[in-house]
Amino acid sequence: MSSTAAQGGPAQQVRARIAPWLDGSALGRARLTVVPHRRTSAARLPFVLLVSVILVGGVVGLLCFNTSMQQAAFSENNLQDEATNLAAREQTLQLQLQGMQNPQAIAARAQRLGMVIPGSPALLHVPTGKVEGHAQPATRDFTPPLYPRMKKPKPLVERARTAPTTPTTPTRPTTPGTAHRAAPANTHAHVHR
Amino acid sequence: MIAMVLSVFGGRLVQLQGFDPHSYAAMAAKENLVDVVLPAERGDILDRSGRPLADSIDGLMVIADPSLTKHYAPQLATLLSNRLGVDYAATLAKLRKPGSRFQYIARKVPATIATAAVRAADNRKYEGLTTERDPVREYPAHDVAANIVGFMGTDGPLAGLERSFNHALAGKDGKATYEVDQAAHDTRIPLGKSSRVDPVDGQNLRLTIDSDLQWYTQHVLMKAVQDSRADSGMAVVMDSKTGEVLSLADFPTYDASDPALSPKSDRGIPSLSDVYEPGSVEKVLTLSALLDAGKVTPRTRLVVPSQYKSGDSYIHDWFGHGTIHLTLTGVIAQSSNIGTVLASNKFKPGQLRRYLVKFGLGQRTDVGITGESSGILPSKVQWNPADEDRIDFGQSISVNALQEAAAINTIANGGVRVDPSLILGHATMNDGTEVGTDVATRRRVVSAKAARQMTHMMERVVDPNVGLAPYAQVPGYVVAGKTGTAQRVNPACHCYDGTFTVSFAGFAPADNPRFTVYVVVHNPRNGGGGGSIGGPVFAKIMGFALRRYGVPPTHTPASQLPTTW
Repeated sequence: MSSTAAQGGPAQQVRARIAPWLDGSALGRARLTVVPHRRTSAARLPFVLLVSVILVGGVVGLLCFNTSMQQAAFSENNLQDEATNLAAREQTLQLQLQGMQNPQAIAARAQRLGMVIPGSPALLHVPTGKVEGHAQPATRDFTPPLYPRMKKPKPLVERARTAPTTPTTPTRPTTPGTAHRAAPANTHAHVHR
Repeated sequence: MIAMVLSVFGGRLVQLQGFDPHSYAAMAAKENLVDVVLPAERGDILDRSGRPLADSIDGLMVIADPSLTKHYAPQLATLLSNRLGVDYAATLAKLRKPGSRFQYIARKVPATIATAAVRAADNRKYEGLTTERDPVREYPAHDVAANIVGFMGTDGPLAGLERSFNHALAGKDGKATYEVDQAAHDTRIPLGKSSRVDPVDGQNLRLTIDSDLQWYTQHVLMKAVQDSRADSGMAVVMDSKTGEVLSLADFPTYDASDPALSPKSDRGIPSLSDVYEPGSVEKVLTLSALLDAGKVTPRTRLVVPSQYKSGDSYIHDWFGHGTIHLTLTGVIAQSSNIGTVLASNKFKPGQLRRYLVKFGLGQRTDVGITGESSGILPSKVQWNPADEDRIDFGQSISVNALQEAAAINTIANGGVRVDPSLILGHATMNDGTEVGTDVATRRRVVSAKAARQMTHMMERVVDPNVGLAPYAQVPGYVVAGKTGTAQRVNPACHCYDGTFTVSFAGFAPADNPRFTVYVVVHNPRNGGGGGSIGGPVFAKIMGFALRRYGVPPTHTPASQLPTTW
């Protein structure tokens, strides 16, 4: 295509207009020689160094990164253990606290200090100093025992001796008529489901 | 030669990669992959102020491998018995067990104690001990509300709320899978394969129970039962306006943290599961229904004969008398059976039953305990006039204690029955039922006027001159109440065996009630009745509650309605 363009009309005109020095006479006038090929060899060392540095840096970095990850995994393990231990410790302390908050424990300590539960409620209205309700000195009457009374087990020998002869019968009230209130004394036995 | 070797390698490569790559990858992963269960924490059961009644803590089981521990068994057994409190001889035997590689040394040990013991063993170079997860359920309040809370067995819940709300309390365990480096003490491999499903912790249950009041109620009840040499007792404290159950006590009861100490029969909640005939306390329901129906007034005059024929037998009063003139108020104050029956004859057929159903008798309260009894109210078909006469004063029907307390509370709450609740807010039972204060319903049973009239009549019960229960008075406050002494049915003979259930129900302050208290004592052997045994228990519990919640006296004088004419 270039050859046809060189011979052809419009293309040649264009070229003449743009580059007048390209026509033959101009070329003849100019003493052109081939530019000698300059062998510019870029220094190899820096490049090799750079690549090596990147390579080694990368490997070392990766190694360090992995090591630190591993390190982190170790310390994570340790911290996890520590957290578990501390959580368990907290729970144990919480448990101790709850044991102390148990109403029974509080009542036992209060009774050891000689405290009793007051019987009649009374309110002191602080701004006026007025007392509402019956303020009475507290007595022991309203403080229930801490523990149920245990039936004292009879000595084995005695139990063996008395058991067959004296079956235990609950004491019956002597005057049921007055003792039992509102008990209908209907004589026939209801059958209940 | 080289080509031959290489082709062998190549063949092996094709075999590994081409035919069966997955099984080898799986084997490699299995070496290092661990599955861990992420335990869901079981929900706590708390009282109304947030104090735990049941609580879960991390626990561990300590396991020994006798093939390793046999070499230093005596030293290790000493260490373990000191640290874990296990029996030396039994532990020694386990540590030496020939041919075994797995022996439980201790179960459900708090994690701190177990890990400390194992670490101490490690430090002395005793090998062969490991720990595994074994959660511990603690009941820090011991016997306080144990009847309600229930307890956990080794494999699951055995009673109370622990059982009926097990699904909600249990939560859902999660799961984690990750790769570990076995050489480095199972350290997790960073960037290794891992997956995790978070656990869903169980829900907490917040109760309406006030643990301090519950303690006091339980212990006052215990004293009353033991002083009267009775079989058992129950007590209920309700907030009159909201129906919240502040205390629900049973005696005998048990220690939830060590249920095995008590006989099996004491480990339930009889106040809900057992039924009994309420006796005269029920007159409150009968007569307020009559007042509501407009058949009577507190001043209605009745001529009460010495006995009254009903069916084939006679009804008597607890006190021998000739023909007496009582007002309706006097019938309540003196607890006259005959007077109640005479007044109740004004009911139309079926009317009393309809009222009692509205009061909630014969239906479970559904507070959230499985195994609650619904009580026994005769069906419409079984209902007959002779039975109705006895139902008028609380025989021939059966109730559970909370049912009866809720019925009496209707009067305290101005004639509107409010469902009793044990759960603050709401919670879902195993069977899907939603219960709690949020879903408690209210319904009017009797008019406000009838409730007020009944309250005034009940104020006369604690009057020292005309009533039966002067010991039920709380100094400074107006109390309305009713005694009950009922014949007990012996399940062996299906007959009344001559023993009694005594009770007292009431509320205070009478003109603006805050609390309803109901006390029941079964089979007292000191000859006491509802007024003399139940009354003082009521007064103590009511006094404690009024003081604890700072309820001021209302300064209204008690009613002076006439009891005779």
